Amino acid sequence: MSAIIEIENLTYRYAPDDIIPALDNINLSIKEGQWLAIVGHNGSGKSTLAKAIDGLIAPQEGTIKVAGIKLSEDTVWDIRTNIGMVFQNPDNQFVGADVEGDVAFGMENQGIERSEMVKRVHEALTAVNMSQFAKHEPVRLSGGQKQRVAIAGVLALRPNIVIFDESTSMLDPEGHRDIIKLMKKLNTEEKFTVLSITHDIDEAALADRVVVLDNGKIIADDSPEKIFARGQQLIDLGLDVPYPESLKQELAQLDVVVPKEYLSEEGMIDWLCRLLLKN
Amino acid sequence: MVMSITFEKLSYTYQTGTPFEHHALQDISLTIADHSYTAIIGHTGSGKSTLLQHLNGLLKPTSGKLVVNGQMIDTKTKNKQLGDLRHEVGFVFQFPEAQLFEETVLKDISFGPKNLGKSETEALEIARQKAKLVNLPDDVLEKSPFELSGGQMRRVAIAGILAMQPNILVLDEPTAGLDPKGRIEMMEMFKQLYEKEKLTIILVTHNMNDVANYADNVIVLEQGRLLRQGVPTEIFSNPEWLNKHHLGLPQTTAFALKLQERGINLQELPLTEKKLAQKLAALLQREVK
Ligand SMILES: Nc1ncnc2c1ncn2[C@@H]1O[C@H](COP(=O)(O)OP(=O)(O)O)[C@@H](O)[C@H]1O
Ligand SMILES: Nc1ncnc2c1ncn2[C@@H]1O[C@H](COP(=O)(O)OP(=O)(O)O)[C@@H](O)[C@H]1O
Ligand SMILES: [Mg+2]
Ligand SMILES: [Mg+2]
Repeated sequence: MSAIIEIENLTYRYAPDDIIPALDNINLSIKEGQWLAIVGHNGSGKSTLAKAIDGLIAPQEGTIKVAGIKLSEDTVWDIRTNIGMVFQNPDNQFVGADVEGDVAFGMENQGIERSEMVKRVHEALTAVNMSQFAKHEPVRLSGGQKQRVAIAGVLALRPNIVIFDESTSMLDPEGHRDIIKLMKKLNTEEKFTVLSITHDIDEAALADRVVVLDNGKIIADDSPEKIFARGQQLIDLGLDVPYPESLKQELAQLDVVVPKEYLSEEGMIDWLCRLLLKN
Repeated sequence: MVMSITFEKLSYTYQTGTPFEHHALQDISLTIADHSYTAIIGHTGSGKSTLLQHLNGLLKPTSGKLVVNGQMIDTKTKNKQLGDLRHEVGFVFQFPEAQLFEETVLKDISFGPKNLGKSETEALEIARQKAKLVNLPDDVLEKSPFELSGGQMRRVAIAGILAMQPNILVLDEPTAGLDPKGRIEMMEMFKQLYEKEKLTIILVTHNMNDVANYADNVIVLEQGRLLRQGVPTEIFSNPEWLNKHHLGLPQTTAFALKLQERGINLQELPLTEKKLAQKLAALLQREVK
């Protein structure tokens, strides 16, 4: 599979005299169809990176290529048709009077023909399982439902890359599970390239690859398992410690000898059962 | 005098007589003891925020009444009768940092006490104290609140609320949108306020680990009704009941349940990681002997 996003030596400062750049010499190549999680503590540069990829800010140094095309003033509008963005706060994303109108809004801006619009709205709402709410007022939906409508608005524009910027962080547990399931479907069935910016360990666990940002630099780039094995350190990286890892640490403090390698929940249960159910 | 909070047959209806009429709270009777740490849980739309907004008279009951700090509030209560209640009950809404507006952190925090008639010097002194209480570093006090990180901005907003010297602190999903480190620090800060400042804490949260780790009283709402009230061990002792009502378990309890299902006998289901680790360590010790 080829790279759909290629970033070389990307540096960005919000103000010319910023001592620490928001992005500091980023090099990153993302394969088509990949699910990449971008993690890091607040202020580490995650949203800035997403904005740079979408051409919302212009880097002072370095290049970004999306689907083989170099991002520039001339190409930014074409490139943006490849990319959909879903943000953190579902309440800030609404413009339409009803759910349908909201999903159609982006297409109106792109001058898409009316009959095509109607078809795509229907398809997009079906994909996120919200067609029965087509005529509802967006403000009266739950957080999870609002996020699904926001995602439908993005899908209707037919991007091949979807960037989720902490899109699950304001949802209740059910809304949260719902959106993660939908992200998974978009990646595995619909073959979207997914970039998920997240602090959530369950969301990061679904990624093929996890990139960790700190002060605008990539400080780790590895599989979720390898990243999760870092235990307590993960808190400083902007992630929670996976439950089995933190239980292992509690046990170690009580002088129990624990395995060094990363254990998934299943792995941890198996390990405990082997020790405790010998006979 | 022991001040507690009592709700008596309280109901609240939004937009009565319109097509959007909604019975958000129905026949709620409950007591919250002075200096308790109460968690309110329930689905989105179950009425949690509506209940909170009664505590300082922001909403008045449609029927029934409540008593807070000795002040009775019913449907006829006028705002001017509420007197000191508005600052005795400190209210941290979701995303409180959206309400910051002053040029410097210190000015923002001292705004409330000045409004209550404190002198400039007194107000600034209180502001410094409260900034310390929420662990804001000294070097941010003269900065604009808008230059700070999300977690720090939220601390400024909370310090501003504490500067009104409330004895009840009401927190509506106060850690939403913070990163894990920010969340842990914020929860530890509330714990300090509870233990050292002796505040009564009322917390709305979806995070069952926080309920297990911090609360001593849990109120469960479902579709505007009080489903159950009890200590965390009672509430979380019955996984089937929680499942039936689509409520989550603390991570430790969920994990312990899986161990039970595999045949490891833990007796009672623990709620916190420490407790589970102690039980497992004891069982492992027995195996070794
Ligand atoms: N609009 C802006 N103007 C100036 N500085 C900004 C702006 N947005 C973000 N920053 C700064 O850039 C850095 C990276 O921010 P951001 O990319 O939003 O981090 P993250 O998304 O990882 O929390 C932070 O230091 C932040 O304060
Ligand atoms: N201004 C309003 N008008 C009509 N209904 C409302 C209004 N505010 C809230 N509601 C409804 O009242 C119910 C309870 O809301 P709320 O107290 O915000 O729940 P929670 O905080 O548990 O999510 C919800 O069904 C909500 O849609
Ligand atoms: Mg961000
Ligand atoms: Mg609420």
